[in-house]
Amino acid sequence: MVQDTRLIELKGISKSFGDTQVLHNIDLYIRKCEFITLLGPSGCGKTTLLRIIGGFEMPDEGSVLFEGADMLPVPPYKRRINTVFQKYALFSHLNVFDNIAFGLNLKEPEALGVKTRRQKKEEIARRVNRMLRLVKMEGYEKRSIDQLSGGQQQRIAIARALVNEPEVLLLDEPLGALDLKLRKEMQVELKAMQQQLGITFIYVTHDQEEALTMSDTVVVLNGGRIQQIGEPKRIYDEPKNAFVADFIGESNILSGVMKEDCLVEMLGVEFQCVDEGFGKDEPVDVVVRPEDIMIVGTDVGMLTGVVESVIFKGVHYEMMVNTGTMRWKVHSTTMQPVGSRVGMSIVPFNIHIMRKEA
Amino acid sequence: MKRSWYAAPYALWMLMFTVVPLLFVCYYAFTTKTGDFTLANITKIFDYTPVLLDSLRLALYCTVLCLLIGYPAAYFLSSKDLSRSQSLAVLILVPMWMNFLLRTYAMMTLFENNGVLNSIFEALGLPKQQIIGTEGAVLVGMVYNFLPFMILPIYTVLKKLDPRVIEAAEDLGANPFRVISRVVLPLSVPGIVSGITMVFMPAVTTFAISRLMSSGMIYLMGDMIEEYFISMNNRNVGSAMSLVMMVLILISIGLLRKADPEGQGGGLW
Repeated sequence: MVQDTRLIELKGISKSFGDTQVLHNIDLYIRKCEFITLLGPSGCGKTTLLRIIGGFEMPDEGSVLFEGADMLPVPPYKRRINTVFQKYALFSHLNVFDNIAFGLNLKEPEALGVKTRRQKKEEIARRVNRMLRLVKMEGYEKRSIDQLSGGQQQRIAIARALVNEPEVLLLDEPLGALDLKLRKEMQVELKAMQQQLGITFIYVTHDQEEALTMSDTVVVLNGGRIQQIGEPKRIYDEPKNAFVADFIGESNILSGVMKEDCLVEMLGVEFQCVDEGFGKDEPVDVVVRPEDIMIVGTDVGMLTGVVESVIFKGVHYEMMVNTGTMRWKVHSTTMQPVGSRVGMSIVPFNIHIMRKEA
Repeated sequence: MKRSWYAAPYALWMLMFTVVPLLFVCYYAFTTKTGDFTLANITKIFDYTPVLLDSLRLALYCTVLCLLIGYPAAYFLSSKDLSRSQSLAVLILVPMWMNFLLRTYAMMTLFENNGVLNSIFEALGLPKQQIIGTEGAVLVGMVYNFLPFMILPIYTVLKKLDPRVIEAAEDLGANPFRVISRVVLPLSVPGIVSGITMVFMPAVTTFAISRLMSSGMIYLMGDMIEEYFISMNNRNVGSAMSLVMMVLILISIGLLRKADPEGQGGGLW
């Protein structure tokens, strides 16, 4: 379970590479046992932020605290943090067992709770075997790295990091190279491992679904700035701005004007909504999720339009409906034929109002 | 036209200047001047056992020195700091564009009794040193000439090393010393093997460098072979010695190949 103590705190982190500033004044804290995901498109600065926590990059400004103590002067090999690298970065000159044992071999016997070199060897074997069981790779000890598939290498990379019992595990798009089915399985396994071991996970991905599935907290980044921090459900249901709404899940984003509390005008039609506290006639961004639009008869619809295209997506159909003023993306389990006229209805609760970005 | 035909000019070249001469070498090595079969030429090499041992010993020293100097240089060259490493690369590569005899003559002017080094000693009030003529001088000449062959293959391997692998080692608790000893060094073994091969082979048959740098005091196998062919006009013994050296080199390559079975070193041979 996520604890309230702040394990890592980032304060005012900025970083530039040459002329490009990749991180702007990032403030973030990470709690003990939290599964936190840094989510954003490529180039948003998420990997750089992870590398700063790992100690592989130095920020230009700002500080990183670990349990309240300044962590920036601590070199990577002394940090109680381990990393699962993007392309695994396994040691090709060592076999599976020696890859996992790499970190333990560097430790003094005392650090493993034993006294002699021989006991250390036995203890390492015990721990490595336990890890192999955890990542379901028993029997692969003697294999060389290039004999493994992508998914197997990925498991070894995780085992190699976890065997050191770090306080924090950093994962840099660890599932990026795997096929969809394996990725889904590993998502579940990673989450289970994190809960079982009680280790803080800081996870970097550009896959919003992955972020929502696994995380306790999602940090959405764009252009080196934090867009929103929150629980997955909150981020999905109440995106803070148009970027988050667009990046997390699919959405129809349009401009509107707040007429009064709980009443928004968009595309010349007034809609009931549940948002309050905006100024009168304040211009706003409005988000409607495709699955929140109900197809109804043209006579009762709040909007009517013509179905332009239909794509079968498995569970649902994705239809583009043109109302003349806007093309709406609609998800529905029942298909409407292309060219047919349909009515659309949205309940007030599903209209989400956001302030315009400055 | 089949693609293999494109190699025809090269194949012809090889046939004329490598295969045929090699057959001649074999023929001369096992015949007397009058053309009768004999093993005396081969056994003649035992008369020169000290020269052979000197050649092997100096080649070994040279290889070890090249490795000790070349590895750190290659490591530095492969670092990310381009501006500095590029200027060093030029310093290493430019002398390679010159003929090795020219390079050796340049070395001689440095170390001669009235050479640059001794002038400096003199100006500092230090006694003159007799450098030319010593084994050390020969070794310096060899290392200077063969060092680039050690640096290049190691550099190639280090340059290909994924920086993430080094970061992974640091991440797992390896201090800078252990990163090198447990990850960088083992992963650059193919380059080391290739470098050793490329230095040891020409070093063991060194000629001219040894004669020039020792002003004729030290004779190595290469010089011996040259002497038999040119001064003594005895191509039978010269061929026999060449053949023995070739066999020795083939054996050493064979042994080294075992250390780098996949030939990842990107060597030239």
